[in-house]
Amino acid sequence: MQQTNRLKPFFENIAFDREDNTMVVNFGPQHPSAHGQLRLILELQGEEVVKAHPDVGYLHRGMEKMGENMIYNEFLPTTDRMDYIAATSNNYGYALAVEKLLGIEAPRRAEVIRTMLLEINRIISHLFWLATHALDVGAMSVFLYAFREREFAMDLMEDYCGARLTHSSVRIGGVPLDLPKNWIEDLEKFMVVLDEQIKIYEGLLTTNRIWRMRLENIGVIPTEMAKSWGCTGLVLRGSGVQWDLRKEMPYGLYPELEFDVPFSDTCDSYGRYKLHMEEMYQSMRILKQLIPMYHESESKLMAHAPQYISSSKEEMMTQNYSLMQHFVLVTQGMRPPVGEVYVATESPKGELGYYIVSDGSPYPYRMKLRAPSFWHTGILQDLLPGHQLADVVTIIGNLNIVFGEIDR
Amino acid sequence: MRAYQPKDNVQKKSYYNDRFYVTPTLARKSVYDDSVFSNDYLSLTKKVTVNDVYLELDHLVLWINPEDNISAIKHAKEILAYDFLVELSAIDYVATKGGFEIFYEMLSTSKRKRLRIKTFIKEGTAIESVNPLFRMADWSEREMFDMFGIVANNHPYMKRILMPEDWHGHPLLKTYPLHGDEAARWYEVDKIFGREARETIGEEQRDSAAIDRYDTTRFSRLGHEVPFGTDIRDGKEPDTPVRYQEDGGIKIFGIPLVTPFDEIETKNLKERR
Amino acid sequence: MAQHEVKYLSNGGAPIALTTVDKLVNFGRSNSLWPMTYGLACCAIEMMATGASRFDFDRFGTIFRASPRQSDVLVIAGTLTKKHAEFLRRLYDQMPDPKWVISMGSCANTGGMFNTYATVQGADRVIPVDIYLPGCAPRPETLQFALMMLQKKIRSQPCSLAQKAKRLI
Repeated sequence: MQQTNRLKPFFENIAFDREDNTMVVNFGPQHPSAHGQLRLILELQGEEVVKAHPDVGYLHRGMEKMGENMIYNEFLPTTDRMDYIAATSNNYGYALAVEKLLGIEAPRRAEVIRTMLLEINRIISHLFWLATHALDVGAMSVFLYAFREREFAMDLMEDYCGARLTHSSVRIGGVPLDLPKNWIEDLEKFMVVLDEQIKIYEGLLTTNRIWRMRLENIGVIPTEMAKSWGCTGLVLRGSGVQWDLRKEMPYGLYPELEFDVPFSDTCDSYGRYKLHMEEMYQSMRILKQLIPMYHESESKLMAHAPQYISSSKEEMMTQNYSLMQHFVLVTQGMRPPVGEVYVATESPKGELGYYIVSDGSPYPYRMKLRAPSFWHTGILQDLLPGHQLADVVTIIGNLNIVFGEIDR
Repeated sequence: MRAYQPKDNVQKKSYYNDRFYVTPTLARKSVYDDSVFSNDYLSLTKKVTVNDVYLELDHLVLWINPEDNISAIKHAKEILAYDFLVELSAIDYVATKGGFEIFYEMLSTSKRKRLRIKTFIKEGTAIESVNPLFRMADWSEREMFDMFGIVANNHPYMKRILMPEDWHGHPLLKTYPLHGDEAARWYEVDKIFGREARETIGEEQRDSAAIDRYDTTRFSRLGHEVPFGTDIRDGKEPDTPVRYQEDGGIKIFGIPLVTPFDEIETKNLKERR
Repeated sequence: MAQHEVKYLSNGGAPIALTTVDKLVNFGRSNSLWPMTYGLACCAIEMMATGASRFDFDRFGTIFRASPRQSDVLVIAGTLTKKHAEFLRRLYDQMPDPKWVISMGSCANTGGMFNTYATVQGADRVIPVDIYLPGCAPRPETLQFALMMLQKKIRSQPCSLAQKAKRLI
């Protein structure tokens, strides 16, 4: 008895007037598998996929246009919502890009804190990946266990910046806050717990016959296809290319940190699963190295560049010119040099890049966000034909795609 | 008469510009400062005409003609070992230069260097698709078409990717407002309920700071609460009795310690005795 | 004002008289609300966290159902874009009565921080919403509180089969 609307039912999954036998199935924008809004139009021959057409854009919120209408500092919380699972990695990439444009460097302690947050976000992202991937494939208890660990990591993030999911914990020029008391002890306790728990997950899944049958030789991405589609991150490393931006084109503190970059040449989903688990161990290794670095650094948190960045609160509340400059920077925005910059960082999903074209005004002229999941979804149209319908869910889960990034 | 608002760039602009301040430009170094890049440049310039070349913030930036984009990228991929096309999109300079700048951002894993190939096309012209060389262009060029209206020739599926199929307008153009034009404003209403329902549903509320003093459905009016949805225009606002204590008073083990203060029942004295 | 005490025996604060049958049916309905998984964006992650180990959603009797035909509540978690609005309306129409809608997060309430061309400024432009839940992203406890509010609302309504015509938006 509601007012009728103009939407007519349509039966697009049954094509009556086609001569061949394929069935068209709409894997609609609303999914039970928790990956967001992917609409996959699959043509099935029996149970095997003959053609796949991914349709994205259901979460397109116009972030690039928002970037052209907001000042640089104002845009930072919007970048949170791109890869909303590991929000600090987006913020950090953006802050790094703007800092490179301005030609400033964040102080040591800020870099240490940022790197710690980045690696915690990597762990959060990989735990989430494990949880949802296992849930899709069928191992529901791994979902609950991984979310339990993820809650501990999100507690750490919440202690630091106040938000569980969309952190905005990084500012252009440094970080706004120092680590709270006992945060490092909590981090160490968390790492002990996580270490045991990852072993439990691996024990549950790695040699599990069903898991191996579901994941081995599924979603094989040959190296040439991975390079041609611009795949980066774990999808690329799972296809035999040992390329990690943190090692090959390092930024921030990564030149000083010792860690390994695992890669696999089996090119299939099982290889990528093992890489995810191994990366969590490497992240913990990095965190252990960062803790003494934090204690040795001096306590400066934001870069000193009064033309672009406001000063600290103490100075602002006592010095007149600091307050005036802060006012101008907040209301009008800072004016970076004219030019273009592209900075890419290694987010848990791949190479996250920010291409900023500045014309000297407080508003960027063009803000292009290079999201790795965009092409990881595009590759589905070349990858899915030949697989069974049940493998479609496995592959989508395995490729670690986030729709906030794809559609921006 | 209303003031003339130029429509060629409706994005937000800074309202105050210091006319004596000259914004610095990022340093552009000569390509010969870096040996790897100078070799790449010299090799490429034999194949295509390079209009301009410089180094900007660790990137080699090359300006070529739009017809040469495939040959330049093919040369970069096969001969110069730039094995990734990382990013491909356009920048809108229609108002100032009459066209779009298209950039191709490439990465070489063996040499660990980044290359940016830029080209300028006039508004209305199309560009050749790079899809045969890098499959990522399939989706990137669709996105470029969707956002800017730049068509890529010989593309396997030149359709919109991020906006709906029947969307009108290309959102990232500078002439397109952030809140959307008229077709955008009513898109979902027209699609689902039809044009007749526009008045029933009403305009979008785009002003995030809008406050309506008489709206009792969306604002809770703390301190002056009234029942949900009552009409309080024209002085019909009912009095809100103030309660300072917990409902029901304070009891300890069932013994009432403080009787509840009820403003309606109590008597207010008009003057002191 | 937050009220944590739910008075089963009284009318739940509603000025209408409920019969015992009403109370019984409402008790059943409110304690086994089956939401449809409608996670669109970041709030979906918080909704999943609500359903996970620490903030268990199952103790409210909720089971996340994938199909609209088998669900009672639609929790819109995330940004509703104009491309998606049509599908939301379709799925809402496919849900059988009685159905309720919780709009979770700023994006579903009013379009949120995305004041752009492609975002529907509030899911209530398209479907009628019962509970609005602010936050960006709202904490899992907030989502649980919203569900409790919805349960309270259900208990205060008569359970007659002939539903009144719902408002359009």
